[in-house]
Amino acid sequence: MSEKFHGELKGLKQDTTEMGRFARDMLSESVRALILQDPVMAKQVVAKKKHIKDITITLEDRTYTLIALYQPMAKDMRVITCILKMITAAERIGRYGKDIANMVKHLQDQPDFTQPVPLPHMAEQVMGMIDDVIVAFETENLEVIKDFSSRDDIVDALWHSIFREMLTFMMENPKTITRGTYSIMVARYLERSGDHACKMAENVHYMVTGERIEIK
Amino acid sequence: MTPGPIISTHDLNLWYSDTHALQSISMKISKNHVTALIGPSGCGKSTLLRCFNRLNDLIDCVKISGEILLDNENIQSAGTDVVMLRKKVGMVFQKPNPFPKSVYENVAYGPRVHGVKDKAELDKIVEESLRHAAIWDEVKDRLNDSALGLSGGQQQRLCIARTLAVEPEVILMDEPCSALDPIATAKIEKLIDILKRDYTVIIVTHNMQQAARVSDYTGFMYLGKLIEFGQTNQIFENPHEDLTENYITGRFG
Repeated sequence: MSEKFHGELKGLKQDTTEMGRFARDMLSESVRALILQDPVMAKQVVAKKKHIKDITITLEDRTYTLIALYQPMAKDMRVITCILKMITAAERIGRYGKDIANMVKHLQDQPDFTQPVPLPHMAEQVMGMIDDVIVAFETENLEVIKDFSSRDDIVDALWHSIFREMLTFMMENPKTITRGTYSIMVARYLERSGDHACKMAENVHYMVTGERIEIK
Repeated sequence: MTPGPIISTHDLNLWYSDTHALQSISMKISKNHVTALIGPSGCGKSTLLRCFNRLNDLIDCVKISGEILLDNENIQSAGTDVVMLRKKVGMVFQKPNPFPKSVYENVAYGPRVHGVKDKAELDKIVEESLRHAAIWDEVKDRLNDSALGLSGGQQQRLCIARTLAVEPEVILMDEPCSALDPIATAKIEKLIDILKRDYTVIIVTHNMQQAARVSDYTGFMYLGKLIEFGQTNQIFENPHEDLTENYITGRFG
């Protein structure tokens, strides 16, 4: 019984890891499509929406089944609850990728307007956090998430920087308002994704140690 | 507010001949709380439970050292009145064991042994005990029927009523639900939750979900040792000892 349960739990954890990477790729590809102004790539990201929704339901159902059949406790219980929260966060991140990809076609029709300068760097920071928290979840190595608080501060600072930069452009030239607003939304989605990575890190920490931490 | 301990053990050791069955157990049982003892078969949890009302005295080869304090008095001392001790510390066993008498006589037996003769008083004790054990409505019209005609779950609640009739302070339960179906089990679990308002309950169970559901404190035992003792939610959510973790997640035992 126990071996069967632990085998299934291990498989579920592995599949959740893969879902996390799938969502991460949706986000990174959407930003890439935006920077390159590539509508084909953007369309491919949007098409992945159905898949991420399907995996969410499948993985959640598998989790509920394990809880109902085995009533896990202690570390097993913490792994299961962490999986549920990882699934939710990953789905959100994937959907932000879809939302950003959807903006690419709108931005194409707008007057020429440079991307916010810090955007690629901000995206890189957020992707790094998502990558690391997935590794921490997979390997239970907490070293890779220990500096998340300061990394999130950087992401927040970049978000404020982009916000102010865009406001300046929009005040100077109202024709840039549509595009500027979209750019602010992109930066906001990235900032939210960084927050999701922090929440995931808190949950992974609880999963591994049983102790609660707060990443501010 | 956490009430003080009603029972505490200090460096309690027990040997069955050469077998060291309980090894240096020190623990405190909180008054008006439910304490569960869990652990694999043979780890000493029933032996420990039976120390609390000196049932192990009935086994010839048993030797005990250390202290067991009930209301700050050492029950191991030579001057302890074992009959009074077992009145204070009642017990319910794995298999319901009603006497082959009527429902009424089962409950009235204890008070009679302790000197209650007045019929009206006995009637009152019987009704209160049966009500307290949540079985009154089911048996009030068949008090003179044989207790052996009751269902397993009813018999077990009758045994609890029988224990309550002598007004104990502590109720020991050794796997009280393992012979019962899930519905009867749920009734006993609900009853345990009610009983702790007036009594202190110590329960031994193999069913970890049951321990998690009914108890406030849980002790995990392994090979005669108390490995970990703490609040039930801590033990089941975040045990500090690897052995506890491995046991409750089904990795051994």
